[in-house]
Amino acid sequence: MSGDIKVGDTIPETVIGPFDAPSLARYAEVSGDANPLHLDDAVAAAIGFPAPPVHGMKLLAAFEPMLRAWRDDLIISSLAGRFVQPILRGDTVRLSGRVLRATDDEIFVRLTAYGAARAPGIIGEATLRPKVGA
Amino acid sequence: MPLEPPRALGPFRLRVDPARAAAYARETGGDGESVPLAYPAVWLAEPSLFSVVRDLCDELDVVPVHESQSFSYDAPLVAGESYDLCVTMSREETPPRLTMVATVATSDGETCARVETMLRLVPRAGFGSAS
Repeated sequence: MSGDIKVGDTIPETVIGPFDAPSLARYAEVSGDANPLHLDDAVAAAIGFPAPPVHGMKLLAAFEPMLRAWRDDLIISSLAGRFVQPILRGDTVRLSGRVLRATDDEIFVRLTAYGAARAPGIIGEATLRPKVGA
Repeated sequence: MPLEPPRALGPFRLRVDPARAAAYARETGGDGESVPLAYPAVWLAEPSLFSVVRDLCDELDVVPVHESQSFSYDAPLVAGESYDLCVTMSREETPPRLTMVATVATSDGETCARVETMLRLVPRAGFGSAS
């Protein structure tokens, strides 16, 4: 049951990365997103990044295992995120979440991903619902 | 503000490749026991679908930069199953942006997911080639 979840509850922080060039190349291959911005130091440097940014989708997708580890009695019915600023290759990434709304039927969570910068790289949200029979 | 009427694309019949879904899960921290929620991102990069975006960006001399993404599910995707994607693509001028909304339906016609991708269109100068 999700009745024990309250507004303001935090989801244990998950730390991922730092991601290296082979890791970004593997994600590019499996996802089909071969944008050279993520893979080519020269392209990243040309627009002012000291290193290529990690694919935003690679990071947004990483919230799913974090949420599953938090509560395995809930299913994730939606996941969304805005890619606010790049998180760069070599950054350690901190994923966190906080409950903004909670009812017996639905939990709404604010998600953030931080790299080395002070501002978040991703601001996201997820909706979770009780598993049938849980 | 929309620049032109939304454009309908598809339907595209696409499959959840079990090996690719497992690899996608591995690369995003998952255990591979279920199809990742973000797996449809793989479909959006499929040449049959993404070529429309690439052609438009070539025409406008811009590069698409991923601005936001959402996945909403009525039922989870199943590895090995095929799905039909119907996509609506709309373009805004201020700021320059392309939005793609995909409805995912089972082969029985049951809608099971909705996927929205927002791409900011940035002048190509400095970016090399489009993604």
